[in-house]
Amino acid sequence: MASVHESLYFNPMMTNGVVHANVFGIKDWVTPYKISVLALLYEMTASKTTLPERRRLNKLILPLQQGPDLTLGQFLQTVEECCPQTAYAVKLRLHEMADGELKDMEYFFSTLPTPFTAFDSEAYKTSVVGLFMRHMLLAYNKLSFSQVYKLYRSLQHYYHSHYAKPTDGQVSLPALVADDSDMDLTSTEDTVVDKVDKEEMDTPLHESELRSENTPSRGPLSQKQAEYFLARQAYLLKNDENKALKPAALQEELNNMLKFNPDFAEAHYLNYLNSMRVQDIFLSAHSLLHYFDRLILSGNEGKSNGDEGYGRSLRYAALNLASLHCRFGHYHQADLALQEAIRIAQESNDHVCLQHCLSWLYTLEQMKGSDSTVLTEDSVKMAAHFCLPYLASLGIQSLVQQGATQGKTAHKLMDALKDTDILHWKHSLSELIEISLAQTTSIWRMYGKSTMALQQAQLLLNISSLEPVNFGVQQNNTEAFAVALCHLAELHAEQGLYSAVSEIIQHLKEQFPPHTQHAKLWMLCDLQIQFERHMNEGKYHLAEPLVTAISALNKTEGLYRKAQVLKALNRSTEAYNILQQLQVHCEKTKCTEMVIRVMLSTAELHWESSGFSTALPLLLQALALARQHHLQSLASEAILHLAFTQLMLGVPEQALNVLHEAIEPVLAHGAVMDKGRAMLLAARCQMAVAGFRPNRQGQADLRLAVLAVDTLNEAAAYFSKLNCKERLRDVHYQQAQLHHALGQTLQRNKSAMLFRLLDQELQSPAPPVSMQL
Amino acid sequence: MKMAALCSEFGNLVDIKKQLISVISLCKERGLLHSAKWASELAFALDPLPKDELPSSPPFTEDDAQDLDALTLAKSYFDLKEYDRAAYFLKGCCSQKAYFLYMYSRYLSGEKKKDDETVDSLGPLEKGQVRNEALRELRVELSKKHTAGELDGFTLYLYGVVLRKLDLLKEAVDVFVEAIHALPLHWGAWLELSNLVTNIEMLKSLSLPDCWIKDFFMAHMYTELQMIKEALQKYQNLIEAGFSKSTYIISQIAVAYHNIRDIDQALALFNELREQDPYRIDNMDTFSNLLYVKSMKPELSYLAHNLVEIDKYRVETCCVIGNYYSLRSQHEKAALYFQRALKLNPRCLGAWTLMGHEYMEMKNTSAAIQAYRHAIEVNKRDYRAWYGLGQTYEILKMPFYCLYYYRKAHQLRPNDSRMLVALGESYEKLSQQVEAKKCYWRAFSVGDVEKMALLKLAKLHEQLTESDDAAQCYMLYIQDIFSCGEQLEHAEVSTALRYLGQYYFKSKLYDEASLCAQRCCDYNDAREEGKALLRQISQVRDQIETPSADLFAPLSNNNTPVRRVSPLNLITFTP
Repeated sequence: MASVHESLYFNPMMTNGVVHANVFGIKDWVTPYKISVLALLYEMTASKTTLPERRRLNKLILPLQQGPDLTLGQFLQTVEECCPQTAYAVKLRLHEMADGELKDMEYFFSTLPTPFTAFDSEAYKTSVVGLFMRHMLLAYNKLSFSQVYKLYRSLQHYYHSHYAKPTDGQVSLPALVADDSDMDLTSTEDTVVDKVDKEEMDTPLHESELRSENTPSRGPLSQKQAEYFLARQAYLLKNDENKALKPAALQEELNNMLKFNPDFAEAHYLNYLNSMRVQDIFLSAHSLLHYFDRLILSGNEGKSNGDEGYGRSLRYAALNLASLHCRFGHYHQADLALQEAIRIAQESNDHVCLQHCLSWLYTLEQMKGSDSTVLTEDSVKMAAHFCLPYLASLGIQSLVQQGATQGKTAHKLMDALKDTDILHWKHSLSELIEISLAQTTSIWRMYGKSTMALQQAQLLLNISSLEPVNFGVQQNNTEAFAVALCHLAELHAEQGLYSAVSEIIQHLKEQFPPHTQHAKLWMLCDLQIQFERHMNEGKYHLAEPLVTAISALNKTEGLYRKAQVLKALNRSTEAYNILQQLQVHCEKTKCTEMVIRVMLSTAELHWESSGFSTALPLLLQALALARQHHLQSLASEAILHLAFTQLMLGVPEQALNVLHEAIEPVLAHGAVMDKGRAMLLAARCQMAVAGFRPNRQGQADLRLAVLAVDTLNEAAAYFSKLNCKERLRDVHYQQAQLHHALGQTLQRNKSAMLFRLLDQELQSPAPPVSMQL
Repeated sequence: MKMAALCSEFGNLVDIKKQLISVISLCKERGLLHSAKWASELAFALDPLPKDELPSSPPFTEDDAQDLDALTLAKSYFDLKEYDRAAYFLKGCCSQKAYFLYMYSRYLSGEKKKDDETVDSLGPLEKGQVRNEALRELRVELSKKHTAGELDGFTLYLYGVVLRKLDLLKEAVDVFVEAIHALPLHWGAWLELSNLVTNIEMLKSLSLPDCWIKDFFMAHMYTELQMIKEALQKYQNLIEAGFSKSTYIISQIAVAYHNIRDIDQALALFNELREQDPYRIDNMDTFSNLLYVKSMKPELSYLAHNLVEIDKYRVETCCVIGNYYSLRSQHEKAALYFQRALKLNPRCLGAWTLMGHEYMEMKNTSAAIQAYRHAIEVNKRDYRAWYGLGQTYEILKMPFYCLYYYRKAHQLRPNDSRMLVALGESYEKLSQQVEAKKCYWRAFSVGDVEKMALLKLAKLHEQLTESDDAAQCYMLYIQDIFSCGEQLEHAEVSTALRYLGQYYFKSKLYDEASLCAQRCCDYNDAREEGKALLRQISQVRDQIETPSADLFAPLSNNNTPVRRVSPLNLITFTP
């Protein structure tokens, strides 16, 4: 029967029937690698080496003692880089043991300098080396007979597996077996000389570690190795997902690890993080709960530090569950979990945990779309009171974001950000520094100051990682970077630099592959840029399919774009309906930017039905709103619209006056398209003021006419940059008329020909020139 | 039709007995003790054969004769658990029997060494690494022979076991099926196969030999897959076919009844089993669970003492003693005995869960969580452990957190009311009344064991001032309580009656109201209120009848509010 063959799984760590989760509490097991380190230490105390070598070796001790187990090859190489002589001696000693008998190993342990006797040496009992040696000796002495034999066997295996496939450049030891100890002294002395002048290696261990970790090993990992692996992967998941293992591979690796060490709770947590990457709610919830079930146990051990036993992990378990549901958009569930966490935290007077709960609470409120300013302010106050700089400045950032959308004065926001920045640098909260920079970029962008936005984005992108341990990651790949890069792409698109845009988007695609968390950001950005481009070029049929894609990512944005396409296709009624709907929605959600844009579009619709006077109040409202929220680019846009309306209403002098107000910011910060439109409008106003009529009535003001020629030329340059043929056609038409009026036949003919060519190319009947801004 | 087919299949019990007798000797020769035990038990249940009908021993070949001495020597070493020694002397033997014993010794030697190694491994690094080193060699040799087609039923079985140990489950299934075809009577092979079958589809897709033993296998499989009804049917057929005396079948049926919580049936069967086979230890832990549920202290105590006398170092014995102490509320001792059971066999699922329960009783929540987690690690489908985890977190006042665990438990036992009630309670604590109502109603619909769901549902309705629904639930609750006959400790009939009385009073159904009030007076805690209500009713009646009895009487007769609930005939209730 089956049970006969069932292995008797007996756990030596089991006391009281409960297996201690942290079986790794005893970290000092003698392994072959540790023996090698011991041999190295022994050689170091025994032999006399030159000072620089000595220094290099001393530097090596700590990483070797605390790092993960290395293979013999790696170990010897590291030592050799510091001091070939010692490396050789260590190799020889290991060889003696591995090719000898069990007694050789026993002899080795008995000859180790006992830290209690060696008062003068470095191995004195309180030194780092002494402590390590004592640990090792103790662990060795505890081993039973069969364990000692097993250790010896594994040492042999360790040694021989290295020589089974000797790597290039390695001295093959077996050849030297016959040599006696006198020989090696002479042989190594030669190599000492050329090694001395070699540069000091600062961290020789680092390189090899990375190499070994990049190719995940199959077998069971040692405690240190596993910890290192988990720490590294978790770090990468947070900061640069691309460099972490692929979800499937990581899962496999974790399963492997858990198979051998089912008690390794941290692996469950990483499993949770990994499942979050692939949006697997079942597995992630399962792993999270499993992790905390395990944690509760290990927390129990530390009962010595007050009541902060497993109660603490319970609170955080509930909090983490809330965050999990929040990530998956289950706000109701998240709310319930959060309330639970808050209740438990309140019961046990854990202010820090409560603070975390509070910051989650306002985040949740924000995600649900309700106003949470008061909550956030409270949170910031409390966090400052309890000295939690991270939470405090996170709250301030959130407040700044809310303030920006609600039209708080700009200098206050900037002041707040500056203050938090000081805090960040003081506590070196690199993550928040990044967020802060990205936020500044966004705010400048919102205010329509493209140069400032550009500068902030560049600042963020040029910052180098501030993390104390960055596993070879130069640049983090967090949300902040994605945001900054998206802004950068949009800013370039505004200037018509599409090749640069495609490069940036390509970079984004590589850094944030489509399945990752922040990929939606660049997807939306990419689509919007494409949409704008097609609209500018008048390829409405290409823009239309993009609308669906945009709506999938952002509904409001999608609706707005849809209205724009419909407007361009002259389906005004549908467009109007959508815009009305959108305006109501946006006013409800307090999305001011969108409200203004919708108003402007509605005004444009009014123009099409020649309702210029009906458009005026809308435009004025839009202008007021934009000024109130300091949205400069939208304000200038509104002014352009106003000027155009006035022109159409037959007051070009007024229009020109108004236009002067907007033209400066547009030329300074605006997109190329806006610049072109502003120039074209200015020219038309100038022509109107100068008294041109299409049918050449009255006397024109020549001074203004010449000015208009220049303005038109400039506009033509902008439009041709964007390949915006429709508007270019308008410009040429105006140019031809102007030249005709000025009697410049040659230029007139040239412009007329250009107009004709474009008109033929476009085929669509030209809309009445007057009807477009 | 079916019965007829079955009868013809089992018609020849004499043949079956002969087959059993021959397979017993084959298994014994090869050291397959458990299969031999199973077959012997079954053979014992059949009538003895006359002398001349006893099956002749299998033919003695030339090879057998050659290996006879080595085999005898090796077998005696084998019996003394000196596996390496046995293997050494069997090397080079060419008979099938010797070959099997040779391979089997090597396998067992590897297993034994593995177990010994685990105790003194070199720390956590090696903990998971310890494995039976012999497996790989065995696999290579056996697969060579397998492709050459030189393996008989027993060696095929061994090959399957080796494959399973190497986690090559698919191959293992194929090999076990092959082994079964080669030697259908070897129960061990069937049992190994049953461990690998995970669902009914897989079971159906297997091509199994048409032999009487297949029915045993199917019944076993149905029990494993929690298809209790089918399993019971199968076992019933087997009993009717002539295996009525088999203790194996009786124990299996008892376990099946235990699984569907038909406690009385199961208890009766176990008692019968104890009579027939008083020194039996197998399955006695299940028996003790039943006694525990029924709180039958003297019986449990007797069983525990009896088993200790038989063998105190058995997992089952330890579990029984643990249950015994638990029932006596000596939870520390109970936990101690469950720990002992786990030391004897760490993969003993029940003990982990039971230990979790004990820690819960001792309010040692973290230890309880750990014990439950271990149980889940051993078997992910252990609903008791999931339920226990949920309870632990409920005790820690984390109703949202425990939802997950209760949901898991509910998933595994969709028709168990306890999980549903627990879910409902958690939802109620989270003030998710809609979900809570759904849970309670569902719990009632699937057959509420503890009769609590309706009461809770009624109270919930009462809270939400849905008085009609509340009244209906209370009514159903009263019906439910009285229909089950026995008195339940926690029954709150008085609460229900009190509410119903008020409800009828408010909706002016005074006859029903007074009936309820009278019933209330039967209960101590509701007596005063019942009397008060009666007084109120009589007052109201006086008011109605004296001034305008003739004026309103016809009206009120016609306008009796029609309730969704038909007034019950409360006279039938006999509290």
